[in-house]
Amino acid sequence: MATHEEITESLTVFTDGYNKNGRLKIMNRDWDRVVVVQATDIDSLHTLTLVDGVVSLKEGAAGNPDLTVISDSETLADIFYGDITPTEPYNNGTLRIIGTEDDIIRLDFISLMIWGE
Amino acid sequence: MKRVVSVSLGSARRDHKVLVELLGEQFEIARRGTDGDFDRAMELLKEIDGKVDAIGLGGIDVYLFVRQKRFAIRDGLRLLESVKITPVVDGSGLKNTLEREVVRILAKETGLLKKGTRVLMVSSVDRFGMAEALTEIGCDVTFGDLIFTAGIPYPIKTVDELEELANRILPEIAKMPFQMIYPTGKKQESQDEAKVQKFAGFYHDAEVIAGDFHLIRRFMPPGLKGQAILTNTTTPEDIEFLKEKGAGILVTTTPEYEGRSFGTNVMEAALIAVLGKPWPEVSPGDYLELLERLNFRPRLLNL
Repeated sequence: MATHEEITESLTVFTDGYNKNGRLKIMNRDWDRVVVVQATDIDSLHTLTLVDGVVSLKEGAAGNPDLTVISDSETLADIFYGDITPTEPYNNGTLRIIGTEDDIIRLDFISLMIWGE
Repeated sequence: MKRVVSVSLGSARRDHKVLVELLGEQFEIARRGTDGDFDRAMELLKEIDGKVDAIGLGGIDVYLFVRQKRFAIRDGLRLLESVKITPVVDGSGLKNTLEREVVRILAKETGLLKKGTRVLMVSSVDRFGMAEALTEIGCDVTFGDLIFTAGIPYPIKTVDELEELANRILPEIAKMPFQMIYPTGKKQESQDEAKVQKFAGFYHDAEVIAGDFHLIRRFMPPGLKGQAILTNTTTPEDIEFLKEKGAGILVTTTPEYEGRSFGTNVMEAALIAVLGKPWPEVSPGDYLELLERLNFRPRLLNL
């Protein structure tokens, strides 16, 4: 089990990785979205906000998110640290994402483009 | 008579059966759609396995090639591996040879493709041979893989960048349910109106629109100005659709039988039946030789 602080740290790493990637920022200039990240086994909520291609992070949940990413704390930390890709946990049901199919696919592509660059 | 069946995840409305003669031998070629129902496709494959001469998998890719690398689509592989006796193909081998040749023929014999021609490939990792051939003759190619598969309005402009992104993304995307990344079943009969509007500019700016017909159709805006469409798997209804949108010329890479151009999976299955070799043993040279003997030529239709 990961702690809330570990999830915060993993999301900070993810946010920094994203914002350092100029190509990703260009790719997502048209995609203003609010993404809530929710752990199922501990009390932990975060909000990623994408505006004009730039992503910011804050603790707590925003109202009316476009996407909600739900999983256990360990899986969330692993995904946002880049230790695992979201595909397997998504396919086996460990990771649930609430949102439109288009947004879910796009989020998956973005996460794949961050790691390893 | 040899029997070839294409089992497709596409709409059953496109089902058909034709009799053709290839190199003096009679072939019955049938297409059976399963409306995006993966389990039904699996059952059908098991049902016909051992009872026909070759099987094509339609509406899904098994292998994507990017330069020397091959990526296997998990769902496609499951279908492929459910067939134990009959040779089964997905069209990727033929795409990699035939479509390169088609581009060269069009460049040599028509004015459609030349240095600087603006080409939109709606998706290129499923027909990398065509992508490379277009680049080799100097076309100004926009690879639309991120645009039309992920909704990301980022035109990839070089094969090097395409390869770099593919190496990063495809190993994982290939594990996703296929219907999330490609229109299957009923989706093939409709358009994604939001994306049609959003990405219309990419179609309007191109002189040639190339690639998978279901993708081309799903995102094609009205008001084209005589663009050429380079694809296959078209029906008479598709030709009417293209006319309505303002396309000028349809070029199909596979031959027409009874008003339809077949998918590459169907044609590759027929060629495998002619060759009588297991798929893994067939080389690009085998296909090229056979294509020459069959005198396969691209078909140009003014719309």
